[in-house]
Amino acid sequence: MSFSGAFKPGASRPGGKPGGGRGGAGGAGGKEAGKRYFFRRRKICKFCADKIDYVDYKDVKLLSAFVPERGKILPRRMFGTCAEHQRKLTLALKRARNIALLPFTAD
Amino acid sequence: MSDRVYEILFIVDPNLGEPEVDALTAQVQGFAEKEGGRIQKVEKWGKKRLAYAVGKHREGSYVLIVAEGGSALVKEVERRIRVTDGIIRFITVRVDEELRRAEGRRARRAADEAKRKSRPSARPAPAEVEGVQQ
Repeated sequence: MSFSGAFKPGASRPGGKPGGGRGGAGGAGGKEAGKRYFFRRRKICKFCADKIDYVDYKDVKLLSAFVPERGKILPRRMFGTCAEHQRKLTLALKRARNIALLPFTAD
Repeated sequence: MSDRVYEILFIVDPNLGEPEVDALTAQVQGFAEKEGGRIQKVEKWGKKRLAYAVGKHREGSYVLIVAEGGSALVKEVERRIRVTDGIIRFITVRVDEELRRAEGRRARRAADEAKRKSRPSARPAPAEVEGVQQ
């Protein structure tokens, strides 16, 4: 955390707690964001960025990017997906599991 | 009310040869057509490795059939698939609503983009991402 001080000595950071820092980084992302870039990169929802409107359960290549080796479905905070797309992603993953395109669990 | 669109994806026993897979595909198509369904698409993905063992099988041949029809179609097709030997797993998904919603979003985005371009002032339009695929 002291790292940011090295960048711009004397600049006061809003909120001393880590929680406060998060809010700041997540905000408008203006000049402030660049400074903290190294700590927490702002995650962008991949589906919004790529303009994927329909999350297809048949698209294994896309879906497998969102499951770790164990096959678990991870919470939104891991991939930065927005709420809407996380819901669709989860549904698609579950469908894909059902038809043996993705594992329920790795053995 | 217009008809619904369903995707029927099923896995055929890997021990069966190509002609048997074709026969089963035709059979399932027949189930759907008998219920007044119209086949929109048939896709054979070929043999793929399964993510987990289904029965004793570690791989299987995937076949996708997209059919248009009423709710009775799914009921009947599913019932018949269940009693059909050689199909080890299947899933039916209704897709028309989601696809229509996706289409609407795409149209709205295109309209937004066009509006932004026609108004050259203010900030420039963000770099365009070509080729929206899914």
